[in-house]
Amino acid sequence: MLRTLTLILAGGDSPALSVLTAERTEAAVPFAGKFRIIDFPLSNCVNSGIYNVAVLTQYKPRSLHAHLGVGRPWDLDRAQGGLRVLHPSPTPDGGGWQRGTADAVRYNLDLIEDQQVDAILVLAGDHIYKMNYIPLLELHAERNADMTLAVHSVSPHDTHRFGIVTVGSDGRVDRFEEKPRRPLSNLASMGIYVFRKQFLIDILAGTEHDFGRHLLPRIIPNSRTFAFNFQGYWADVGTVQAYYEANLALLVETPALDLYDPEWVIHTTSADLPGVEVGEHARVENCLLSDGCRVYGTVTHSVLSPGVYVSPGAVIRDSIVLGDAWIGPEAVVDRCIIDEGVRIGGGAVVGEGDIATPNLAAPERLNTGLTLVGARAQLPEGLTVGRNVAIRPRTAEHAFPKSGVVPSGATV
Amino acid sequence: MRVVAMIMAGGEGTRLSVLSEKRAKPSVPFAGKYRIIDFTLSNCVNSGIFDVGVLTQYRPHSLNDHIGIGKPWDLDRNRGGVRLLQPYQGRSDQSWYRGTADAIYQNLNFIQERRADLVLILSGDHIYKMDYNSIIDTHRRHRADLTVGVMEVPLEETHRFGIMTTDEQDRVIEFTEKPKDRDKGNLASMGIYVFNTDVLIRRLSEGSQERPRIDFGKHVIPAMVAEDRVFAHRFSGYWVDVGTIQSYWETSMQLLDPQLDFDLFDPSWRIRTRSEERPSAKIGPQARVSRAIICNGCTIRGTVERSVLSPGVYVSPGAIVRDSVVMNDTWIGPGAVLDRMIVDKQVVIGAGAHLGVGDDLTVPNKAEPDKLNTGISVIGKSAHIPPGAIIGRNVVINADRDAEDFPSREIPSGETL
Repeated sequence: MLRTLTLILAGGDSPALSVLTAERTEAAVPFAGKFRIIDFPLSNCVNSGIYNVAVLTQYKPRSLHAHLGVGRPWDLDRAQGGLRVLHPSPTPDGGGWQRGTADAVRYNLDLIEDQQVDAILVLAGDHIYKMNYIPLLELHAERNADMTLAVHSVSPHDTHRFGIVTVGSDGRVDRFEEKPRRPLSNLASMGIYVFRKQFLIDILAGTEHDFGRHLLPRIIPNSRTFAFNFQGYWADVGTVQAYYEANLALLVETPALDLYDPEWVIHTTSADLPGVEVGEHARVENCLLSDGCRVYGTVTHSVLSPGVYVSPGAVIRDSIVLGDAWIGPEAVVDRCIIDEGVRIGGGAVVGEGDIATPNLAAPERLNTGLTLVGARAQLPEGLTVGRNVAIRPRTAEHAFPKSGVVPSGATV
Repeated sequence: MRVVAMIMAGGEGTRLSVLSEKRAKPSVPFAGKYRIIDFTLSNCVNSGIFDVGVLTQYRPHSLNDHIGIGKPWDLDRNRGGVRLLQPYQGRSDQSWYRGTADAIYQNLNFIQERRADLVLILSGDHIYKMDYNSIIDTHRRHRADLTVGVMEVPLEETHRFGIMTTDEQDRVIEFTEKPKDRDKGNLASMGIYVFNTDVLIRRLSEGSQERPRIDFGKHVIPAMVAEDRVFAHRFSGYWVDVGTIQSYWETSMQLLDPQLDFDLFDPSWRIRTRSEERPSAKIGPQARVSRAIICNGCTIRGTVERSVLSPGVYVSPGAIVRDSVVMNDTWIGPGAVLDRMIVDKQVVIGAGAHLGVGDDLTVPNKAEPDKLNTGISVIGKSAHIPPGAIIGRNVVINADRDAEDFPSREIPSGETL
């Protein structure tokens, strides 16, 4: 097998995730209750037998760093290889920030050059999928490729969101277009690239910032680039709506993403919390509950992360509630994403009224009726919050309107 | 002040019936995701004691797997950490541990290597939360040679415990193992001892045919009460010995009581355990769950009431689990009913099977009438219960039993298979 170094790009700011990425990079956003998005590429690596992994961070990395630690949950705390977290450091002129995916890799070229490896596997830190990278690396080696891209077919309606490739009959990629208006195929690049080491070093000699936008369209016609067709579940949860849907899709009887597969366990860092406690008068239906939750109210069609407390009489419906949130007595949470450590006062109603008013500050991002409450916000008792509302992290009780009503489309 | 903790984890725990048939009692699952020894181990590290020996003997594999190198408790350390101490063979002698004191005696070199000033001897099969610094403080304040953790028990139960009779300074003046009379006071020994290392070594080394030093309760402590400074340290929190099927089941059910003075959620005193990586528990659209503990990896599509489920339990649609404890990865088929059951790991319960049937809870188990007589039936690890089977009260189904082993569809109350 090829000796491989994996680089996971986890530095993006992902503004489309609104308040969820206000205080953390997208890779550290919780998913499916107890996981974080980066658990998927990281677990894929170790499940594929790749134990030489670097995670490139930049934007708000603290939560991600805390999650990764020394890499224990993934058995990446090793004497050889293991996990490396690579963060930018300033240059004397105040620069040093990375300006895109290719720039981030270029910044770490010295490390890459020192590695005794054949191939560099570059992964996005913000996709949800289970994939064995070995067949991809094998294809790369068999074809003696300069570069191999993993591709996935997407709906023609979504092609404008991705890098679209066209592939010849021999599996060779002959064209790469970033977010095309008139796509020539529906094969989307998954942001998973294998490079021959020297090839990567050579192409980064220039100054282009981004693989998809600048580098790949230029180099592909003059190189041996192959496509690896991936058929399994793959989701880019980079928008609020996609994030919400991908979470709630786990509630169907046989979800497309099987997290219970003992052959491909997704590993994560979890706090040691006791089992879920469900109270005598609780009602729980069609939901995911994580260890450390205590439910005394009603939870239907929702995903709860560890340590959520649902008081008696409270109702959580069609929502995602992240770690350690506290939902007060008789409060109602409907079609919301509630971030970590939020406190919702007793009797508050969050997510009520018309869904037709998009969020006024970000109408293109928040327009499907979802209300978002940022981490550690404190919602006062009896507050009413409309739909398409964004409440910023750490909003204190006194910052809410005296009227006790936050209308649909508002941002607090 | 260097402290080394020695956890006694070798006992057979016969009164736990099939639950401890294939594993030592400290390794029996409890409260969903934990094992009994997690409470003692977590108490150690939460008290800042990172030098721990675990003495194993009976069926240690499950316990060895669980403790491993001690990662979950941060006991994987360069200095100190956890050490599993099994009975060993020497050039001139070899012997199983004959008792608690003998087990320590055979590992005195471990204690000496750690250069401990104090040795804290603990039992690996009790459920409680305790800061051991408090008993160590008591020990030092009294300049004691030995301090014993005690708690008050009702006078009518004193015959089940080792009872310490103390003077007004809490110095122990008499130790009576399971007294018949009620005049010895009501301070029961919890099996928690703090010894000065030099005294411990001296007392254990002086054993002889006439003066055996095999067991702490029988030999060592009575001898020391007469000659050394032995004090009692009073503990008043929640403490249970889940040593019987009855107390195991009752204690599990107590955990469901929100009024219980034993908070597993207390962030300042986390109970740590080794857990397999599992996704969140999934509750289906037709599920009904009330008053239950459900762990990660469970899938609930039926009804669960007043029950404790360990990780990975699957409850099929139409199945009912009531007043029961179900351990890891057990599969409960559609329409199956469980009532007052303790079901070990990896059991398969066929569709429509009824477990715990019969209005008369008092027909005792014929083989173990003293252990099973309150209506609780127990299924051993990896047993397969055929579809449609009917199992009565106080029944024991041993581990690995298969459909072929069932003489008929019905196992009446009191039987053992």
